[in-house]
Amino acid sequence: APAAKMAALNGGAPWRRGWLPALQFVRRGSKAVTRHWKAMHFQRQKLMAVTEYLAPRPAISPRCLAPRRERAEEDNGYARLLRRQVEEVFRDNRMIAVCQYNSMPGEDMVLMRHYLRKHNIEVKFVLNEIVRPMLSQSKYKNLLPLFVARNILLVSPETKVKEMLRVLKGVPQVNLLGACIDNTILSRQGVENFAKLPSLEATQGQTVGALALLPSQTSSLLQRGSAHLTALLDQHIRQLQAGEMGSPAEPTPAQSSGTH
Amino acid sequence: RPRSEPPLFPPGPGGVAVPRAGLKKYVLPPDYSGITVPERTKLKFMEKVPAVPKVRREPRQLRDIRGPSQEATDFIQGQYGILALGGGYLHWGHFEMIRLTIGRSMDPKSMFAIWRVPAPYKPVTRKSLGHRMGGGKGPIDHYVTAVKSGRLVVEVGGRCEFAEVKPFLTQVARKLPFPAIPISRDGLQQMRQEEEEKKLNNQNPWTFERIVTANMLGMRKYLSPYDLRLKGRYWGKFFLKHRV
Repeated sequence: APAAKMAALNGGAPWRRGWLPALQFVRRGSKAVTRHWKAMHFQRQKLMAVTEYLAPRPAISPRCLAPRRERAEEDNGYARLLRRQVEEVFRDNRMIAVCQYNSMPGEDMVLMRHYLRKHNIEVKFVLNEIVRPMLSQSKYKNLLPLFVARNILLVSPETKVKEMLRVLKGVPQVNLLGACIDNTILSRQGVENFAKLPSLEATQGQTVGALALLPSQTSSLLQRGSAHLTALLDQHIRQLQAGEMGSPAEPTPAQSSGTH
Repeated sequence: RPRSEPPLFPPGPGGVAVPRAGLKKYVLPPDYSGITVPERTKLKFMEKVPAVPKVRREPRQLRDIRGPSQEATDFIQGQYGILALGGGYLHWGHFEMIRLTIGRSMDPKSMFAIWRVPAPYKPVTRKSLGHRMGGGKGPIDHYVTAVKSGRLVVEVGGRCEFAEVKPFLTQVARKLPFPAIPISRDGLQQMRQEEEEKKLNNQNPWTFERIVTANMLGMRKYLSPYDLRLKGRYWGKFFLKHRV
């Protein structure tokens, strides 16, 4: 603009007619770039105030809405492995007992495991945070309340409940909470009753005997009528024999044998 | 897993909940496979005066401080750096401070640092103390480097995390003559993304850019022609971060 002014001064037609430029640049004050914060013209201040950033305001404040926590998709290999192991345990073993586990001296723990191992019962430690989601999706939903706090699983392919209870009685730190034997969920009382039952072979024998009792009576039932008649006739013969001592007893036995 | 599990152990009379053991999640160590550490890991020594000192005294040209930077705005070799958020001049004292502080705090075997600003090249004149105005331009006193806002000053990289590097970079950034922050590649990207988002979701229908380009209300009378380019985010050497 100073150049334009000079050009106008030198020889422009409007300048000769006494024309003043509309814009007059003020050359007072500091330069554009200063060390201090240069004071803005008031109009510029107003412009800066008008053109400030306005943040968007949603209709409902985010504090009123429930916090949207994203699902932590860890699913690391270790968790998957543990889950697989737990699935195997539930599939392969007939008896699964859940016990409360308080801290025990090491040697007592080893002894208990040894005694249980003798009866082919294994002690398994499972993490609640892996077992709980698995159980809630499988058919063992009712075992969920047991998997709270520190617990262990005593698993076995056979059902030797009596020996297990005997071992656990000697260990006060492990308390039986419940068991799932042959896909039947039993409470503590149920397990004790189960232990009092006779063994499978004995019960089978008992059932067979009870069932075979009636057929064994069939033949005697069918023969009851004729046996009764035979007994009556024999009694009659004895009475007659007792009555007639000397008379020939041959015709009457021959008649009685003929009627048979 | 349910969103909010009711506490399996509600706090007892003492107000303490019994802790329960969970599965330990192992975090993999960071992967530094694509990072090559150059031979000279420490910062190069910067000369006070260039090899060919200037004979002709140069005008002040403060426009090399004004506005956004066009060079050295992105990362080259390193992962972390110091970003300038204002304009200013760096002289030899600043260079020495940066070099020594970073050299002291970093591990030369696993980390490296590079300069993103040139050595001082611009001569600054000073008149001797106590003399009146006039008598010509003073002799050259020292040399400086001009830094505009948005420029990286140093870059640090190597087998290290941002948390390791941040303390000494903040220490350096506080001592610089302009506002500066330590920043990583992700941080820079995020900053730019936030700026874009702010521009998009600004509820104010009146923006500086719109008013200046259309010269609404004759505002250009009170603004500089450079404000068309600077769009209200820069004022002198200062960078106004809060403005859109």
